[in-house]
Amino acid sequence: MRTAVLFIAMFWFVPFSLAQESPFVVTYNHHMEEPGNLEIEFSSTFDAPRSGQQTYFAPYTELEYGVTARWTAELYLEGQSTWGDSTVFTGWRFENRFRPMKREHWINPVLYLEYESINEADRIQKEIEGGGADVSLSNRGLRGIKDHELETKLILSSDAHDWNLAGNFIVAKNFSQSEGIEFGYSLGASRPLATVVSGTSCRFCRENFSAGVEVYGGLGSTHGFGLGDTAHYAAPVFAWAVSDNATLRFSPGFGLNHESSPMLFRFGYSYEIQGFGTRIARMFGAKR
Amino acid sequence: MTRLSAMRFACVVIVLTPALAQNSGYLPDSNWRAPVDAASRVNPLANKPQLTAGGKKLFLRNCSECHDKDGSGIVRKHAADLQLPVVQDQSDGTLFWKVTNGNPDRGMPSFSRLPEAERWQVILFLRTLKPTNP
Repeated sequence: MRTAVLFIAMFWFVPFSLAQESPFVVTYNHHMEEPGNLEIEFSSTFDAPRSGQQTYFAPYTELEYGVTARWTAELYLEGQSTWGDSTVFTGWRFENRFRPMKREHWINPVLYLEYESINEADRIQKEIEGGGADVSLSNRGLRGIKDHELETKLILSSDAHDWNLAGNFIVAKNFSQSEGIEFGYSLGASRPLATVVSGTSCRFCRENFSAGVEVYGGLGSTHGFGLGDTAHYAAPVFAWAVSDNATLRFSPGFGLNHESSPMLFRFGYSYEIQGFGTRIARMFGAKR
Repeated sequence: MTRLSAMRFACVVIVLTPALAQNSGYLPDSNWRAPVDAASRVNPLANKPQLTAGGKKLFLRNCSECHDKDGSGIVRKHAADLQLPVVQDQSDGTLFWKVTNGNPDRGMPSFSRLPEAERWQVILFLRTLKPTNP
């Protein structure tokens, strides 16, 4: 009961922060979470697969925290539900992004390190690496196959004339299986629909919307590097700041080759709590 | 304590609290300096004061968590008192560079995610900040 009251109080008293978030779903850019802020995001990947395969729905929750101005940590909890099959918890992942440079540059690098403890039923497809997800087997068989994976990304990102351009190169190693080292990529470009903010309060004006496009896919592995035999998608991305601290994202992804699903729909809702770290510290008696 | 003296005490507290919370002792980071070409930039919105209201909205959403709604700076956040001459005497270009780049060593994040014009709007609003306890 006390925990529930604390939880409600935490959301009730949080100040608003600007939810002018990037519309990207897959691609990371160099903009980090502000120090002490916590962003909670509920997202999902909905697949419309080829004939003969089952449609699935893969929800996941992200908890993103700004540890410092140059270090953001994130925890994912993931699940999956397949039509005519079952609903399973598919695992968790913990990621860290470090920004080595203090100042803004023409190109801003960010280093990304992630540990995944998931099973083969995982379908969120937050990134495509190697040959992509296998959607032909049942959850019953897949959930017993554990994956312990270390993933790194080199994130390069640039802000130019109100556009954000970002590229991620992915290198992943699954320690549970002998798949070699797998590779992937994602590229994105986005822009807010308005670059000047009005003085009035409005929710449907252009300043609250941003849009762009992402292209992502696998690059094979050390057993066979290249664009063939892997999935690739092109996806327009849209974000709408529905309130001062919440953002809705939507992205319909179109499969670009026979290895891809015809469509991947992604949508998410994120809620940002400003000064979360300070509040927690004070709850435990910190003076400042 | 009589009711009257309790009310007097409450009034004193209400009047003094903002002054005590204000970070008027703020000392700028001497290593946080804008390059000369960045410092000399002129605010392209300087002749559009009607955009100041948008700058205020951006400030309240992005900056007031640390700098407070009146820009006086929250002491426990070690945030700059933006009303002080040491801040107001800086050029528009310098303030724009500082908003854009942040100062990670002092916990000030970069706001380069905001479009350039919005950052200039914030600078327009910063110029309107006046000391609350002159």
